[in-house]
Amino acid sequence: MGKYIATRLLSLIPVLFGVSLIVFFLVRLIPGSALEMYMGTQVEATPEQMIELQRIFGEDKPVVVLYTEWLGRILKGDFGHSLRTGRAVLPDILSRLPLSLELTVIALFLALLIGIPQGILSSLRKNPVSDVLNRIAGLLGLSLPQFWLASLMVLAFSNTQGWIPMGNYIKFTDDPLRNLRMMLLPSLSIGIGLSAVIMRYTRNSMLEVLQMDYIRTAKAKGLAKRIVIIRHALKNAILPVITVAGFNTGYLLGGAIVIEEVFALPGMGRLALYAIYQRDYPVIQAIVLVIATLFVLVNLLTDIIYSLVDPRIRLDNGARHS
Amino acid sequence: MKSNRLTRNPIAMTGLAIIGLYLLVILVSTFWLPFDPVEMDIDHLLEGPSLATGHLFGTDEFGRDILSRIMKGTSISLIISIAATALGAVIGTTMGTWAGYLGGRWDHWLMRVADVMFSFPSLLLAIFVMAILGEKTYNVIIAIGIVYIPQFARISRGAILTIKSSEFIKAARSNGASSTFILRKHLLPNILVPLIVQVSLSLSVAILLESSLSFLGLGVQPPAPSWGNMLSSARKVMVLAPWTAIYPGLAIVFLVLGFNLLGDGLRDILDPRLRNVR
Amino acid sequence: MSEESILRVEGLVTQFSTDRGLVKAVDGISFDLHRGETLGIVGESGSGKSVTNLSILRLVQSPPGNIAAGKVLFQGQDLLQASEEEVRLLRGKNISMIFQDPLTSLNPVLKVSMQIAEAIQLHHGLGRKPAKAKAVEMMKLIGIPDAERRADDYPHQFSGGMRQRIMIAMALSCNPDILIADEPTTALDVTIQAQILELIKSLSAKDKTAVILITHDLGVVAGMCDTVCVMYAGRIVERAPVDELFYDPKHPYTRGLLDSIPSVDLSGPDRLYSIPGAPPNLIDLPDACPFAPRCSRVMEVCTKATPPETVLDTATSRSVRCWLHTKENQNA
Repeated sequence: MGKYIATRLLSLIPVLFGVSLIVFFLVRLIPGSALEMYMGTQVEATPEQMIELQRIFGEDKPVVVLYTEWLGRILKGDFGHSLRTGRAVLPDILSRLPLSLELTVIALFLALLIGIPQGILSSLRKNPVSDVLNRIAGLLGLSLPQFWLASLMVLAFSNTQGWIPMGNYIKFTDDPLRNLRMMLLPSLSIGIGLSAVIMRYTRNSMLEVLQMDYIRTAKAKGLAKRIVIIRHALKNAILPVITVAGFNTGYLLGGAIVIEEVFALPGMGRLALYAIYQRDYPVIQAIVLVIATLFVLVNLLTDIIYSLVDPRIRLDNGARHS
Repeated sequence: MKSNRLTRNPIAMTGLAIIGLYLLVILVSTFWLPFDPVEMDIDHLLEGPSLATGHLFGTDEFGRDILSRIMKGTSISLIISIAATALGAVIGTTMGTWAGYLGGRWDHWLMRVADVMFSFPSLLLAIFVMAILGEKTYNVIIAIGIVYIPQFARISRGAILTIKSSEFIKAARSNGASSTFILRKHLLPNILVPLIVQVSLSLSVAILLESSLSFLGLGVQPPAPSWGNMLSSARKVMVLAPWTAIYPGLAIVFLVLGFNLLGDGLRDILDPRLRNVR
Repeated sequence: MSEESILRVEGLVTQFSTDRGLVKAVDGISFDLHRGETLGIVGESGSGKSVTNLSILRLVQSPPGNIAAGKVLFQGQDLLQASEEEVRLLRGKNISMIFQDPLTSLNPVLKVSMQIAEAIQLHHGLGRKPAKAKAVEMMKLIGIPDAERRADDYPHQFSGGMRQRIMIAMALSCNPDILIADEPTTALDVTIQAQILELIKSLSAKDKTAVILITHDLGVVAGMCDTVCVMYAGRIVERAPVDELFYDPKHPYTRGLLDSIPSVDLSGPDRLYSIPGAPPNLIDLPDACPFAPRCSRVMEVCTKATPPETVLDTATSRSVRCWLHTKENQNA
């Protein structure tokens, strides 16, 4: 198991390296240098000051050198400074990261909580009418724009101030209950779409597994239907659902960016948006890098959970069956 | 034969009917709109839906007719989605097909690049690209197209790899058929099935991505109406005038649902084995 | 064979509804099984032998499957009329099954000891620990080396032969009255096949367990069975004690199957004989002998009407379903 995790961790290095390349060089594609953008908002500078600024902005060196220096600083935890506020980027991101993560985790939790039982139930009550209804419900879930759902929820709950607080953000560490109540609607609006996807997958996966020979074996042993389903079918059926849930965490992370804006939550997404509006590229770069890294780590975590549930993976060295 | 199975699939037909309805709206809106979608009308700010005034879906905070703006926005949203999907499909499929077909080092590097691209959540990648390119309508097409390139590359490559090892290709090759001939005659028809399904699903996601970008102010810029930016401006007034938020949202949901129904139905018709693709 | 039968199947009909029509997979099957007897059911794939046996325990998927008629009398009780719960408690306890492919028939994500133990836990009312101990004991009995340590392994960690041994351990763990073995050796290497068959034979002899052995391989039947039923297109076309079947096959289909066995004697003229044609489509079978299109001795009557069952020897209940052997034709 340790070996498996180690191999998978090592395989992340080239991917993260690629991510850093994209993040660095895409920003370089922007017409005009960072210095020009910076100067655009500032007063005139003397020629001496310009040379000094060029050195600070690194515009006196070839791009490859700049990239290596940049990557080196990132690895040391120095994500640069905001062009607008001049503050270090990393502390700002780190202070906002917990909110975005909490939003994503609760959304994932809600999606699983709604999706899996629904999927199981609908796979057991299989008839033409419920088949079509389930399918349409699943597709409808996929079709709902998260930000619109969020807007509707704000609309629907705008006069229930007491129970669903909408005012200033309260940290989990300050008042957990109030914080959770506050996060419920935002998480729900991100998670509902995914819950429909998970429902669909659980259902299809259950229907497939229920056809398997080993389910027949379990029935032939005389096991009660309940045990056949919970012990024999569900554990197999959940495998593809884990992968889907993990892969879609990216969708949740993306959704968080938009939803934070709707609910005025001071998370990373909001930071990113203001950075974009103000062309604050170091901040944008850093946030994209952090979210992509998170997403890569979530996928790793998904693989590890998968290998814990499926004994067929655990013993061979990292190669995934089927 | 296939069209016959298409007409008998209620899911796909419902999807097609919905899409057809939107196409009809586009056709009508090029000749006629109930009101001017851009011009302000300060006498009719935030009026509710009403038959008497002719504003069936009400008016927004500038007195503009919401129905007209939705109709105008239909063509904008659809054109962006179709163009973005086409961009991603053409480039992605070309890259994936050649990588899968040639194999070796090309294949290896292309798939590594795709892996890296997959490390970015779609919406984040689109937002990032928009931040770099700047908020212009045609940049939305590029941003979404870039998101789709690795997806199409991976699907077409996968299809090529399965077919490449199959018997009829070996047979064609042993009969002395050239590479281009094999590619055109045997491989392309066999990757069409997964691609058609992917195109349909991509169109639905493109609409969601476009509306999200526009909602954030990174996509279609006002005063040009898009469903996303209509919802964005509705946020300030929706508590007073819920119709400003409800109808544009419904317009998105139904079109996206249409593409999803079509894609899901096509999957049944063309290849039941693909059922778990998404 | 004077003992009373432990299982009696009468006029069993099992159908599947498909897009193209109703498939009569089993079309009026009857047989008796006595305590300690081993009954072979032989036929090509699709002849209905597996469906027959799934029907006995009501394990046919429904829909699309449906047991349309007949009786399955286990110790006098009709299982087709019994409640689902009554049948469920017989499964694994009184009647157990072994399936063809041990890899797909074992749950890949559960430990093997647990898969054996759960039946013991259920039917013998044992707790988790004693049930597991009994499971390990069963694993030893069926010859799994190092059973204690391997009890916590998963199916994919065993070889094909070992997996089938685990299936057997599972099936025999509650000392059933009847063991139904559905092609138990088809998926295994030839060298392992004999071992598995020997294991089934010795264990069933020990407890006087009756066995129904389903196979397409007459070679397997010869070494294992007392009585053989040959199935074709959902019907039993010939029934005979095993020796008689081999020395004096009556139905042309049985003869064809016997001729298809590769002979060790390579001097024979047709050493790789196979019956020409393919089994019929079971949708809308015409009123005719279903084997007629492939039969080398086909007569006019064969395409006009379904042959009735002709009992040739009441003592051994030997019978055949062929126009060549009906009373009229025998006299002629």
